Amino acid sequence: MSKKIFNHPTLQEGEPTGPSYWRSLDERNKSPEFRTRAEREFLDGASTINTVERREFLMLMGASFGLAGLGLAGCREPRNHTLPYSKQPENTIPGVATYYASSFPGEWANQPLIVETHQHRPTKVEGNTSHAPNGSASSKFAQASVLDLYDPERAQFSVGANGATLSIAAAREALVQLASEAKSNSGEGLVFVARPSTSPTRARLVQLIQSALPQSRFVEYTPVSQNGAELALGARPLPDYAKARRILSLDADFLGSGDASVEATRAYASGRRADNADEAEQMTRLYVVESTFTLTGAAADHRLRASTSHISALAALFAAEVLAQTGNNDEATLLLSKVSGVNVDQNWIKECVTDLVKAKDKSLIVAGAHLSADAHRAVFLANAALGAAVRYATVPAASKHQLSDLVSNVPSTLVILGGNPAYDAPANVPFAKLVKAAKKVVRLGYHGTAFDETSALVKSVGGIVLAASHYLESWSDGRTVDGTYVPVQPMIEPLFPSLSDLDVLAPFAGSTKDAHGLVRETFQEISQDKSDSAFAAWLAEGVLHKSGYGIINPLVNLDGLKPFPAPQLSFDALEVRILPSVHTGDGMYANNGWLAEAPDPMSKTAWENVILISPKLAAKLDIEPRQGVITRLGALNGKINEMVDGRLIARIAKLTLDGVTIQGPLFIMPGLADFTLGLQLGFGRSVAGRVATRVAERLQGKVVGNGFNVYPFVSVDSPAFRSGVRLELTGETAPVCNMQDHWSVEGRDVVREGNAEDMRHNQNFAKLGIDGHAPAVYGKDEKLSPAEKAINTPRGNSAYEHPDHTVAPNMTVWRGHESEFPQLQQWGMSIDLNTCTGCNACVTACQAENNIPVVGRDQVLKGRNMHWLRLDRYFFDGRDQVSSAIPEDPQVTFMGVACQHCETAPCETVCPANATVHDDQGLNTMAYNRCIGTRYCANNCPYKVRRFNFLDYNKREAGHYYEGPLGPAKLPKDPTDLPQMQKNPDVSIRMRGVMEKCTYCVQRIQEAKIQAKVNAKDSAGIRVVDGTIKVACQQVCPAEAIEFGDITDPRSRVAKAKASSRTYGALTYLNTRPRTTYQAKLRNLNIRMPGANRVPLSRKEMAGRESHGKPHETSGHPQVEKNSH
Amino acid sequence: MAHAPQHSSERPEILDRVQPADLPRAELILNDRNFHWVTDKVCGIVEQPTPLWWKVTFAMALFVASFTGVGLFYLVSTGTGTWGLRAPVGWGWAIVNFVFWVGIGHAGTLISAILCLLRQKWRTSINRAAEAMTIFAVMCAGIFPLFHVGRVWFAWWLFPLPNQNAIWPQFRSPLEWDVFAVSTYFTVSTLFWYMGMVPDLGAIRDRAKTWWRKAFYSVLALGWRGGNRQWSNFEMAYLLLAGLSTPLVLSVHTIVSFDFAVSNVPGWHTTIFPPYFVAGAIFSGFAMVLTLMLPLRAIYRLHDVINQYHIDNMCKIILATGSMVGYAYATEFFIAAYSGNPYEKFAFINRAFGQYAWAYWIMVSCNVITPQLFWFKKVRENHSLVWIICLFVNVGMWFERFVITVTSLANDYLPSSWGYYSPTIVDIFTFFGTFGFFSVLFLLFVRFLPLLPMAEVKMVSPHANPHAH
Repeated sequence: MSKKIFNHPTLQEGEPTGPSYWRSLDERNKSPEFRTRAEREFLDGASTINTVERREFLMLMGASFGLAGLGLAGCREPRNHTLPYSKQPENTIPGVATYYASSFPGEWANQPLIVETHQHRPTKVEGNTSHAPNGSASSKFAQASVLDLYDPERAQFSVGANGATLSIAAAREALVQLASEAKSNSGEGLVFVARPSTSPTRARLVQLIQSALPQSRFVEYTPVSQNGAELALGARPLPDYAKARRILSLDADFLGSGDASVEATRAYASGRRADNADEAEQMTRLYVVESTFTLTGAAADHRLRASTSHISALAALFAAEVLAQTGNNDEATLLLSKVSGVNVDQNWIKECVTDLVKAKDKSLIVAGAHLSADAHRAVFLANAALGAAVRYATVPAASKHQLSDLVSNVPSTLVILGGNPAYDAPANVPFAKLVKAAKKVVRLGYHGTAFDETSALVKSVGGIVLAASHYLESWSDGRTVDGTYVPVQPMIEPLFPSLSDLDVLAPFAGSTKDAHGLVRETFQEISQDKSDSAFAAWLAEGVLHKSGYGIINPLVNLDGLKPFPAPQLSFDALEVRILPSVHTGDGMYANNGWLAEAPDPMSKTAWENVILISPKLAAKLDIEPRQGVITRLGALNGKINEMVDGRLIARIAKLTLDGVTIQGPLFIMPGLADFTLGLQLGFGRSVAGRVATRVAERLQGKVVGNGFNVYPFVSVDSPAFRSGVRLELTGETAPVCNMQDHWSVEGRDVVREGNAEDMRHNQNFAKLGIDGHAPAVYGKDEKLSPAEKAINTPRGNSAYEHPDHTVAPNMTVWRGHESEFPQLQQWGMSIDLNTCTGCNACVTACQAENNIPVVGRDQVLKGRNMHWLRLDRYFFDGRDQVSSAIPEDPQVTFMGVACQHCETAPCETVCPANATVHDDQGLNTMAYNRCIGTRYCANNCPYKVRRFNFLDYNKREAGHYYEGPLGPAKLPKDPTDLPQMQKNPDVSIRMRGVMEKCTYCVQRIQEAKIQAKVNAKDSAGIRVVDGTIKVACQQVCPAEAIEFGDITDPRSRVAKAKASSRTYGALTYLNTRPRTTYQAKLRNLNIRMPGANRVPLSRKEMAGRESHGKPHETSGHPQVEKNSH
Repeated sequence: MAHAPQHSSERPEILDRVQPADLPRAELILNDRNFHWVTDKVCGIVEQPTPLWWKVTFAMALFVASFTGVGLFYLVSTGTGTWGLRAPVGWGWAIVNFVFWVGIGHAGTLISAILCLLRQKWRTSINRAAEAMTIFAVMCAGIFPLFHVGRVWFAWWLFPLPNQNAIWPQFRSPLEWDVFAVSTYFTVSTLFWYMGMVPDLGAIRDRAKTWWRKAFYSVLALGWRGGNRQWSNFEMAYLLLAGLSTPLVLSVHTIVSFDFAVSNVPGWHTTIFPPYFVAGAIFSGFAMVLTLMLPLRAIYRLHDVINQYHIDNMCKIILATGSMVGYAYATEFFIAAYSGNPYEKFAFINRAFGQYAWAYWIMVSCNVITPQLFWFKKVRENHSLVWIICLFVNVGMWFERFVITVTSLANDYLPSSWGYYSPTIVDIFTFFGTFGFFSVLFLLFVRFLPLLPMAEVKMVSPHANPHAH
């Protein structure tokens, strides 16, 4: 290889030059000798420069080798060298994450995402801020979807009809052959069964198939349909939750479930921000009518418990009242005439509707998707009469064919795309029979044939089972709830030879294009732009603006209105409300450990499902928990469920409906409608992976799914609720995994609430309770700004030494220039309890960001879950005295608790090893390497946020924790081990015996600080700009309830939040001085409503229990007033 | 020794005139036993052929001790999760056992040091065995804080060793204070015990019949010849060590109580803990001394040396400290109520009536109610009953530590984070095994070392008084 000589560019004529310098006269003269010398690599005689002659050299070397040989020093193992990228891939900087736009496919709406990849491994997803309605937020399912990509039990190869492994080429060939066979009889007997999808490309392929194979049928099936309103109205309602100030939800859990919950929560929360009395009065008021306790119900200001089977009728009553009050008396009368047998407080309806009518166009009624078509029509008319904040969009028509049609018209060739119909088909559709009856079956499934009911079934009948790609490794597209066109872009080559549903459909549609080509075609069709740059721009931004669905005004009337059913419910004829589980959805996410372990926000159960029953029913069955002396003494509110030795021990009950029986543990749920039983789908899998099944049984070679299967109760006609159920106790009990033992806050002032009236009366209503009595921890500096307090507050006689925030780290260098350099930024957080809906997205996001291990059901039962961030759920029913009664109609408050980063942290002073220390920016840091695991810090943390690695959760599998070094290791030698690939490389993995806790996402802070320093170059502008750092929980929060940033900068969002009059710190009387503070919750009560309380129930309880926080009607706020002077 | 006969010439004359009647002093050694009898009795225990009961008991003790060994091996190889710990109860049986054993380890040094300084002559009959008990109990205690850490292989970080990263232990942590307090206590107690034994070891050496016994005890006796100068130095050193140990008796358990009192957990954060813990430690220590001495006295027929007077004294100390402990329990309640702090109030009501009420009432009945029987002379004279009451006290004091440690942690500030702790079989076996470990050491002590301080017993015996005859 010859040397490449780089010459200096020759000077152009007239180009300005500086003075020229030269090292010797030869250089100046540009003599040829000089030129050769300058260009030579070695000088003359360089080879003999050490005056060692060749012979001498060889002699010495020979002797050295001889000596070396004597000592056998040369006998060592060959060294293996690691090599750096010899050709660095473009756009890859080791250690720096790369972000791509994509979207999380939903059945009804996609969520636009930004995916974080490290060395091309997707590790985390965030909301795509280019799509304003969801901001940086995403759902917990989207968060957890990354883990699914690396599920070791996903299908890693396709299986042919003979049971042998099928290559991708062979699989495609088989599909092409199947397509040509279908072509010969125009698709007679060919049926596709797929989950609904928003993908326009798929819709296009389906259309092509319809025209190419007119006899074929395309069936879309989902156990939890979200399009009830669309089917009834012919258009999709797009409620404007941000504009609406009075919302009535009729069993619509718009905040808690469904593909649009993120956008809905974000919009709703924007109407719930209030920092003074006027704003508090303008705040959105939420009325909810529901049977089970959903997140929407938890957020409600007024909540009416009603049986699900009555809610359609109730919808008619509400609609009739709206219509009556707005002068549409004929329709009102018609509606009223169709309702009978509903027992409801008429005053509730009247006052609620009056409030809605008063708000006019700023009102809104939303109806649950499962309500009857007539109910949707009634609600539509009511909204129209109100001029409500809702628009209607034209959406593509749903599939014409239903799963139930297949029973009468049996398919001969069945193509099953995704889903898991062998498990989740309604009980009255014998799906297994259909599969067995079909001559040819093709199945595209995500999980291996040993871990998925449908795949196992198809394999057993000799069908073809194709491995499906994850959305993070395949091309597709989709639409958000309002129809905005978004891409599904792969981040990584498929980890295994797998296909997407587009790949499977294309041959039938007669297309030879790959998925990328198909999506590109669709994009051109939708955007009307064929240019590469437009496509690239779409992929880069992740959103095609102004591509939403068309807005129409549907024509709806009440023609052919049928009577609203309202079955009589009693103890012998109960109702079951069937909902997707927060852990597994409808069963799709059953093998996802993060979701399995993220507790249900209301029941706080994890890893399994329960039968929720109302306190009234529990009393009737006499299964209320036994109460101890302490309850009778008046020191502690009674339990709502039986706890034995810290474990929830549930009674097992048998539910019977039309001869079908299911069995599960009972969980008494406050706030449930009296005769409603709550059931959650997605458990009790019979063929499933390691997360979805019980560990102990699996180790014995048996497969027993977590929880119990509810699908036997799902029928085609009524998938969401059934009535006429009988309940019988079996006499057995079982422990249920539960993450919060106690429901009541016991009158403690940890949670603070108020309302507009409070704010008007006393801005500082949040500063109450024991903190009002405690001496001012800031001493004479009580009045200082938060910034000044953070930096130079006196220690207030604290026993705890405080880090010196005043001295910059490299002060010696800066000496004499101190004024030119900014003070160090001080990090802090503010959590708004008012907007938090308890959706759990933050819990899952934290787990994804910080490599928090999943510990498994067994360990959670032992109380050892590792979540750094938890959502405490407290019920309040306004009791001013302790009692063992279970609250029947409570209010709920969620409180996110992670490390509070106390300035005088109690954990720090007790650690004998100095493993947890304060840094100069106010973080309470944890040096894992230094931790020896005394757990003293966890004991001394009043917020109980520290988590200990009791066992090797990162190294070993659940079920093998107790085998010590004899157990199989989770981390194999192979570095491509799947679950490892998800890990965030910026966060260390903790071994057993080490304490861990929230770090305020220190890795994100550091990244931002480094970037700020890079940007600052030589200037002093090294401060991180507000908003640059988004901690994981903050970024994902759809309610934007979490603010994080520099509290010394009064313009930062967090400082503004902390300056709010609602701000308080939890347990601050301990002089912990937490950097995380809370903003008190605001209730927005309509005082005319029946049962409305002037005072939030939590405050009422606090006043009754501890004489703290007395409502101002009775005693004012003496302690607060005392505090203020 | 400090005992010096008084000469009549120094008596004030008035005494001769009024001739007050001497109050009879309790005899410390009964039946007019002479020096030779004492030597024979104590050395005989060491010199006699190994009795069968000893072999059987020793084998059993070894077996039981192996439980601790296996338990710790499993713990270290697998993780702290093999114990019943959980959030929010980060300290369970290990810390309970630690405080329990350290408490037991109090009586020995109290008897040898404080009673020595207070010239309580009756202490001589029991101090040797009590000191041995102290040392072995502290050894048992040391196991728990060492092994309860998550990464025991790094436990040496607790020592202030200079290192290149300039990381020091956290000197503000009570656990760090514990390291110093317990290790100092152990060192001084061991020195004190051993030094006091030197003259007796010399006696055993002198009586040795076989060469190996002679060699063994020669080494241990450190060349003791019993010369006047040696005695003089011995007495001075003994006194100094007694002075040195005295504050340690108080400091160790004070510092152990700081583990709790310095934290902010309701139910832990109380200023009463240091005196209350020290009283409790003496309480449990004396109970343990009686538990051990009563059977030994019966086996080796030591009734003349350890007589009713000794037992009476110990029972009275138990009664006194037991009442102090009871008073402390009551004070805690009063202060919690008086503070008006809802968290404190709840912590104590919860102790008595909450989920761990059973443990609380076991504690109260064993520690406060049972010792009250010692008011009755009849009870003190019924040695079986005394022994049973002492067992109750031991159980009660274990429960006291359990109640303090566990109930406070299980229900503290945030009701959302309440929990319930129960031990696993590994916890139970590891603790059970320490009794075996303790017994192994104690049996070895009984078999090979002088059970009673012969020299000191002789000094307080009637024969040592020139006016006795």
